[in-house]
Amino acid sequence: MYRYDEFDATFVRQRVKQFRGQVERRAAGELSEDEFRPLRLMNGLYLQLHAYMLRVAVPYGTLSARQMRKLAFIADSYDRGYGHFTTRQNIQYNWPRLPDVPDILGHLAEVEMHAIQTSGNCIRNVTADHWAGVAADEVEDPRPYAELMRQWSSLHPEFSFLPRKFKIAVTGSQADRAAIRYHDIGLRLKKNTQGEAGFEVFVGGGMGRTPMLAARVRDWLARDDLLTYLEAIMRVFNLHGRRDNKYKARIKILVHALGAEEFSAQVEEEFARTGAPRIMPGEGELKRIAAYFAPPGYDALRDDDPALALRLEKHKDFAGWVERNVSAHGVPGYAIVNISLKPIGGIPGDASADQMRAVADLAESFSLDEIRISHEQNLVLPNVRKRDLFAVWLSLGEHGLADANIGLASDIIACPGLDYCGLATARSIPVAQDISKRLGEPARQREIGDMKIKISGCINACGHHHAGHIGILGLEKRGREYYQITLGGSGDESASVGEIIGPGFSSENLSGAVETIVDTYVELRQNGETFLEAYRRVGPEPFKEAVYATH
Amino acid sequence: MAKKTTGLHALTGNLLADGRVVFLAINGGWSDSLDIARLARGENDAAELEAEGAEAVRANVIVDPYLVEVEVGQGQLVPVELRERMRIRGPSVNLEFNSRPNGQAAIAA
Repeated sequence: MYRYDEFDATFVRQRVKQFRGQVERRAAGELSEDEFRPLRLMNGLYLQLHAYMLRVAVPYGTLSARQMRKLAFIADSYDRGYGHFTTRQNIQYNWPRLPDVPDILGHLAEVEMHAIQTSGNCIRNVTADHWAGVAADEVEDPRPYAELMRQWSSLHPEFSFLPRKFKIAVTGSQADRAAIRYHDIGLRLKKNTQGEAGFEVFVGGGMGRTPMLAARVRDWLARDDLLTYLEAIMRVFNLHGRRDNKYKARIKILVHALGAEEFSAQVEEEFARTGAPRIMPGEGELKRIAAYFAPPGYDALRDDDPALALRLEKHKDFAGWVERNVSAHGVPGYAIVNISLKPIGGIPGDASADQMRAVADLAESFSLDEIRISHEQNLVLPNVRKRDLFAVWLSLGEHGLADANIGLASDIIACPGLDYCGLATARSIPVAQDISKRLGEPARQREIGDMKIKISGCINACGHHHAGHIGILGLEKRGREYYQITLGGSGDESASVGEIIGPGFSSENLSGAVETIVDTYVELRQNGETFLEAYRRVGPEPFKEAVYATH
Repeated sequence: MAKKTTGLHALTGNLLADGRVVFLAINGGWSDSLDIARLARGENDAAELEAEGAEAVRANVIVDPYLVEVEVGQGQLVPVELRERMRIRGPSVNLEFNSRPNGQAAIAA
């Protein structure tokens, strides 16, 4: 099980002490708000619409039961009894008081957690496939490399004040569950014919007001060149990034302005210039890091379980949940359980402290003490024995966590929007709730099939609307919320940016418009096409015609 | 064409300690109710409000003060801008949780 090493534990404790002093100096007036703001942001503390918001990093989305219980404790003791899991595998608390934050960070440090690099123009905490290490289709666990990048980037003096924030995602499978082409740098771990590990490297992806898919700059980067090559990318960005205009400061704009070929050439030149010695730790250190992600002690099990087959036959609700929420594990006899944080009509990504504790208990009893957070705002129990699936399902049901809707129309991503966020221009959550209620009837959802609806409350696109099969962007016009719809986006290995279909919709008409789009798809699909496949075949016209004829 | 304004403004900010939304009140204190906010009806009034806001910042009471345009609607003062209406109203969701004070101790009290 991953944990910080002793060096990090000391560093995090020192950071808590340092921030406690900064908060005390702020309260005493020794630091002005202008002086204090960058210091609090470096510790994940924002000032939002109604209160402070603390964003806590969950490295690579991996948590132990002990860590999840600590998150629940903080929610109860310092917040309002809940937390919000985000599209970057973090958790946000919406109501901490400033004087309490050092204590909160102290509690987090007790379980090797922190809020460092969850804000600011630095390399943010690296994200990874939420099934890393257990997915049946994985080449290799990407998390040791993500951890290596974290150690390399933490407080790196050259990269602490970049032109703009910088996000890296890594996956170890051909299937992209980490949206790597929507990141500043996306890495896909692969192996060559000699069985050596390396990476396919993408640069310049992002959401925001200028959505772009990352360009492939390397089809193969040898594992031992990873950090040197990343450093070369960062140097080109640091040198040419637009520090004069924050809206043009992300690396995607630079890659676009230079052209992928020229950008890549400059990176290669820097990479060659840096030369030997490569800044990669030796084999021993890599093994030491990898040991933190070593597979847990799996039992030797048969892959089939007769009792499970019986339960599936007798309990249709259970079978429906297994069909949608349970995924293939790399070890015989085990399964990956995806826990939906999208109850029908609920708030995407929110979990109460009681639910967090329930998931921690289940992780301890049934998942070899592991929990994952997905970028789609759901939780994962990655190591469940198939023979335990029924017990896990029953227990999840007792805590309102057994919705069988992973990947369906009600499994909606939504940012906090104008209900919480200081940058938002419209609300996201009520829109998600409306659509979820409208499309969430179980048989209806199953009939619709795989569907990714993603909602952002402003142009910054934290709700990943550009990557939604149906994307929704909330805007404000003359004091009223209205919503633009995009179609055809995708964040997976067939990544694409959604296209705006036309004029926006009022909050009253929006969920009806979405339903019309869904109905149009159901009507025109052929031979079991998914929404995305159908959209790519027919284009936007049939959807536009249907929507604007009726709304 | 210049945007039509109501000519009425209140001064708002967030409390340093907990980030709560407040308005400069008629009595000189800071209140979470717009009902008792001190109002500016012109540039001179507005400058006075801003000066009081700057003083409150120096005194470490509030952060980021600014003027909010307000209007009379349905018998009460309301901000003109959607964002400001949301700041006053609080989240429109998660009411079960958001009606709670922070922390167990506060709940017990």
